Amino acid sequence: FLLPAALCLLTLLLPPLSLGAPISPAEPISQAYSLALYMQKNTSTLLQTYLQCQGSPFSDPGFSAPELQLSSLPPAAVSFKTWHALNDRERLSCAQGAFLALTQHLQLVGDDQSDLNPGSPILLAQLGAATLRAQGLLGNMAAIMTALGLPIPPEEDTLGLVPFGASAFERKCRGYVVTWEYGHWTDRAVRDLALLKAKYPG
Amino acid sequence: MMDISLCLKRPSRMGDSKRMRMTSNFQWLLLTVLLLYLMNQVNSQKRRTPRDLKCITNNLQVWDCSWRAPSGAGHGAAYEVCFENGSHSCYRLEKNVKIPALLPGDHEITINPLHDFGSFISKFTLNEKNVSFIPDVPEILDLSADFSTSTLHLKWNDKGSVFPHHSDVIWEIKVLRKKNMEIVKLVTHNTTLNGRDTIHHWSWTSDMPLECATHYVGIRCYIDDPQFSGRKEWSDWSPLKNISWSPDSQTKVFPQDRVLLVGSDITVCCVTQEEVLSAQIGSTYCPLIHLDGKNVAIKIRNISASESSGTNVVFSVEDNMFGTVIFAGYPPDIPQKLNCETYDLKEIICTWNPGRPTFLVGPRNTSYTLFESFSGKYVRFKRVELPTNESYQLFFQMLPNQEIYNFTLNARNPLGQSESTLLVNITEKVHPHIPTSIKVKDISSTAVTLSWHLPGSFAKIKLLCQIEINKTNSVHELRNVTMKGIENSSYLAAVDKLNPYTIYTFRIRCCTDPFWKWSKWSNEKQYLTTEAIPSKGPDTWREWSSDGKNLIIYWKPLPINEANGKILSYNVSCSSDEETQSLSEIPDPQHKAEIQLDKSDYIISVVAKNSVGSSPPSKIASMEIPNDDLKIEQAVGMGNGILLTWNYDPNVTCDYVIKWCNSSRSEPCLMDWKKVPSNSTETVIESDQFRPGVRYNFFVYGCRNQGYQLLRSIIGYVEELAPVVAPNFTVEDTSADSILVKWEEIPVEELRGFLRGYLFYFEKGERDTSKMRVLESGRSDIKVKNITDISQKTLRIADLQGKTSYHLVLRAYTDGGMGPEKSMFVVTKENSVALIIAILIPVAVAVIVGVVTSILCYRKREWETALLKHWK
Repeated sequence: FLLPAALCLLTLLLPPLSLGAPISPAEPISQAYSLALYMQKNTSTLLQTYLQCQGSPFSDPGFSAPELQLSSLPPAAVSFKTWHALNDRERLSCAQGAFLALTQHLQLVGDDQSDLNPGSPILLAQLGAATLRAQGLLGNMAAIMTALGLPIPPEEDTLGLVPFGASAFERKCRGYVVTWEYGHWTDRAVRDLALLKAKYPG
Repeated sequence: MMDISLCLKRPSRMGDSKRMRMTSNFQWLLLTVLLLYLMNQVNSQKRRTPRDLKCITNNLQVWDCSWRAPSGAGHGAAYEVCFENGSHSCYRLEKNVKIPALLPGDHEITINPLHDFGSFISKFTLNEKNVSFIPDVPEILDLSADFSTSTLHLKWNDKGSVFPHHSDVIWEIKVLRKKNMEIVKLVTHNTTLNGRDTIHHWSWTSDMPLECATHYVGIRCYIDDPQFSGRKEWSDWSPLKNISWSPDSQTKVFPQDRVLLVGSDITVCCVTQEEVLSAQIGSTYCPLIHLDGKNVAIKIRNISASESSGTNVVFSVEDNMFGTVIFAGYPPDIPQKLNCETYDLKEIICTWNPGRPTFLVGPRNTSYTLFESFSGKYVRFKRVELPTNESYQLFFQMLPNQEIYNFTLNARNPLGQSESTLLVNITEKVHPHIPTSIKVKDISSTAVTLSWHLPGSFAKIKLLCQIEINKTNSVHELRNVTMKGIENSSYLAAVDKLNPYTIYTFRIRCCTDPFWKWSKWSNEKQYLTTEAIPSKGPDTWREWSSDGKNLIIYWKPLPINEANGKILSYNVSCSSDEETQSLSEIPDPQHKAEIQLDKSDYIISVVAKNSVGSSPPSKIASMEIPNDDLKIEQAVGMGNGILLTWNYDPNVTCDYVIKWCNSSRSEPCLMDWKKVPSNSTETVIESDQFRPGVRYNFFVYGCRNQGYQLLRSIIGYVEELAPVVAPNFTVEDTSADSILVKWEEIPVEELRGFLRGYLFYFEKGERDTSKMRVLESGRSDIKVKNITDISQKTLRIADLQGKTSYHLVLRAYTDGGMGPEKSMFVVTKENSVALIIAILIPVAVAVIVGVVTSILCYRKREWETALLKHWK
C-alpha cells in the first residue's frame, strides 16, 4: 500500500508549491481533508504494529497506558467546548504545531525502532510512511492558511535537545505515546478540516 | 598457661598443721577445717598478688602485657616489672607494660606491687606461645561504587611495613545491605605481607543494583606469621563504610538496558516514593521484595533469551508505570567455517558462519573485525541485519607481494568475544570468476580458436581451463588447457579435431594451479564449424528400366559426417570407351537419375557437391557380370529383419551389395540396397518397410572392379504368417469307393509364407446336418491326410462307401500357421455288384426254404399214412 500512498502524497503535496495569486481555500481544505481521512485509516494499524513489536506487556491484548505523556508533544485531547470555541487561525495553528511536532517525533521513533527492532521492516516502513503523511498534511495546512490569509507559524524545533540517552524502555514508551497521539491528532484533524470544509464550500 | 609461684614476704605458717594430727575423727574434722582455712589463706594471698598476666601483640615487635591488679590495690597502683631478656630489666609502671618481643623460650617475669604492703610479689613464666597475636583493625581507605555495573570497589592498606616477616594475610570482608544490615556477602581475600605498606583492592558486583538500597562494607584480618608460635587471632572489624544512591524525586527502575547472558539471574528494583502495586517481566507477574522505604525489587531467575526489542520489566504504581528493558542473549559463538579465498588475487573475501544466534540485535549485535597480523591491517564488518544462519563476508584488499595472510576474525558483543584464526597462502586459494565474453573464431573447418575474458591478477600463476565441447547426440568432451596467467586479460585456446559443418556448444571454466576451486561454467557459446568438401561419394546403385533402354541410377544422401556441409547438387556421368553422358547439377532432394544407354559397358560416376567442392566420385558399372550358376533360395527372418549369409568369395574386391524388393512388384524392382564390406559373409537386412507375411526378393551382388555379379537370389519373409485363403479344390472323379480331389495353388500374396503342405480331412456327413461339426484331426471318425509334397495337386481318397455323402475339407499351412479351410460334400456312386448280390441272396434263400418245406411236407404225409395203416 506504500506506492499508492506515495502517489497520493505527491498529488497532495504539489498544490502548495504553486503559491502566488490568492486561491480559494476550498481546494486545499478538500485535499487536506482527503489526506487526513486516508491517514485515519492507517493510524490504528500503525499503533498495533508498533505495540506488537515491543514485547509484553505492550503487545498484550488491550494494552493501554494513557498516563504516559511526552512534554514535547501537545496532547490531542481537548474539551469539546474549548475545541468548538477555536477560531480558524487557532484551530489551524494547533493542528499545524501538533503535526510539526509529530513529524519530528515519528522520525525519532523510527530511529529508535531501527535500533530496537531492526528486523521488523514492516514497522519501520509504516513509521516512515506516517512521517511522510504528517509532512504532507503540514503542507496542506500551510496552503489552507495561505489561502485564508493567515500567518503561517514558524517551524520550531519541538523536540529540542533530543534525549539520546533515553533508555530502551523510555524509547518504547515514547514511541507508544507518539503513535497513539498521531492517531488522535489525525482524528482531530479530520474533525477540524470537516468543520472548515463546511465553512468554505467549494 | 602461666605457672605462678607465690613467695611469701612473711614467715610461713606451715608448722601449725603438725599439731592437728592427734585424734582420729576429731582430727579429721580439725584437718578439714584447717585445710579450708589454709586454702582460704592461700586464696587470700592470691588475691593480694598481681595475677592473670596476659600478653598480646598486634605487630609481633612489642608485647603488651597486662594483669589483674591485687585486690585492694587502688587505682593508680604502681608496679615494678622485671624480666630476663639477656639482661635483667625492670620497669616501674601502673597497669600494663609494653615490652619488646622476647626470644622464644621461657622468660621469668616478676611483678612487684610497689607501696602496697599487703600485697605479694608475683612471678610469671612468659613464653611466646602464651602471647596472642591480634592485628590492628584494618582501615578502609576508600569505598566507591560503579552504579552502572553495580560494583563496589574497596581499597585498604595492609600496613605491611609494621611486620617483620613475610606473612600470609587473610582478609575477611563483609557486605551488608539495607538499613537493617542484612549480610549479603562474606568473603575472604588472601594476600601476603611483604614488609611494605601495600594498598589492596577488592571489587564486588552486587546482584542487586546499588541504587536499590544502601550497602555497607567492613573488613578484618588474620595474619598467619609462620615464625610466631603464639595464638593468632582475627582483628576486630573495621568501622563500616556505606554506599548509597541519593535519589531524586522521580521514580526510577534499575538497572536500565542491561545485557545479560541467557540463564542468569538478575534483581531489578524500583526506587520510588510511591506504592508499587505489581511488577512483571514480560507478561509474568513477580513477587515484590520490599527494600528500605517504598523501594521494591524483583528477582528474575534463569532468564530466557529476549526477543528483538528486549524483555520488558514493568513496575506499576497506581496511576503510572515504570520499567526497564533487559536484553538476554548469548556471547558470540566462535565464527565457524571461516574461509578466505580470492577471485582475482586483488581482493580476499573471507566468509564465515556466525554459529549460534546471540538474540542480540541493533547496537548489541555482534561486531566482527578481521585482522591480518603480518600487515597489521584490519577491516570491520558493517552491521547488516541478516538472517542469523546466513554466511557473513568481509573483503580485504590484497597487499602487494604478500602471499601468506594470517587472519584473525574477532567477534564481539556486550556479552563477550570469540575469535577464529586462519593462516592462508592466498595463491593456493584462488577461485576464479566466471569466464565471460566467450568468442569463437575459425581456423579451419575442423579447428577453431576460443577466447574468453577472465578478470584477475594472475600474472604470477598458472591457469588450468577446461573446455567442454558438446555436439548434438554425442557425449560431452572435456579438454584441458594449461596457460600462463596474465593481468586482467583475455585468454586464447585452439580447439581442433572438430567435424566440419557441425554445431558445437562450448563452455569454459578455469582454476589455478595448485587447484582450489573451479570457477562456475561460463555461458554456453554455440558455433557452427565451416563446410569442407564431402569426404565420400554417395552410395550408388543402378537398375535397368523394364524396357531395358534406360539405366536408372539411384544414390543415397550422404550422412552428415560425410557430407561436411549442405549438399547442394549431384553430378552424374556415364562413360564408356566411346562416349560420356553427363547430368549436371541435379538438385539435392533428387536422388535418382535416368539415362538412355545402349547395352554396352558404362561406368557410372556420381559426385555430391556442397559449397566448398565436390566429393570423390562413386563409380559403378552399368552392366552386371553374368552368373549362370544361380539358384533361388529361401530365407526367413527374425520379425524385424532378415539374416543373409554367403560364402566368402576371394574374387569380390570392392564390396557386397544386397538389394531387395517386394517380390510382387514389377521390374525394375528396388526397394533399397545395402553395401557390406568385402570381408563380410553375412549381414542383417533391416528396414522399416518390411512387413510380416510379405515375400521379398533379396539379391546378393559381389563387386569386382566396379562391376557387380549376382551371387545369390533369395526369396524370404521377415516373418511368415498363416495363409489367408484356403486352396480352391474340386472333385475330379467319384466312384462308389473313392473320390479324386484336385486343388489350385494359392497366390503368393495370400500364402504369406512358404507353403509347407496341405491338410485334408474327410468324414461321412450330410450337407443338411444342422450342426456342422468342426473337423479336428483328433477325432477318431475323421480321417486326415497331411500332404507335405507341395507340388502335389491331386488326391484320391479310396475305401469309401458307395452312395455315401462325405464331407471334405482342405487347408494349406505355412510355418506361420494353418490357413482357413474350404469344405465340400460329395456323395459316392452306387456299387452294382453289391446290389446284385443283395437281390440274389434273398431269392436263393426263399427258394431253398420252399424246397426244404416241400420235402418235409411230402415226408410227413407218407409218415402219417403209414401210421394210420399200422393202427388200423
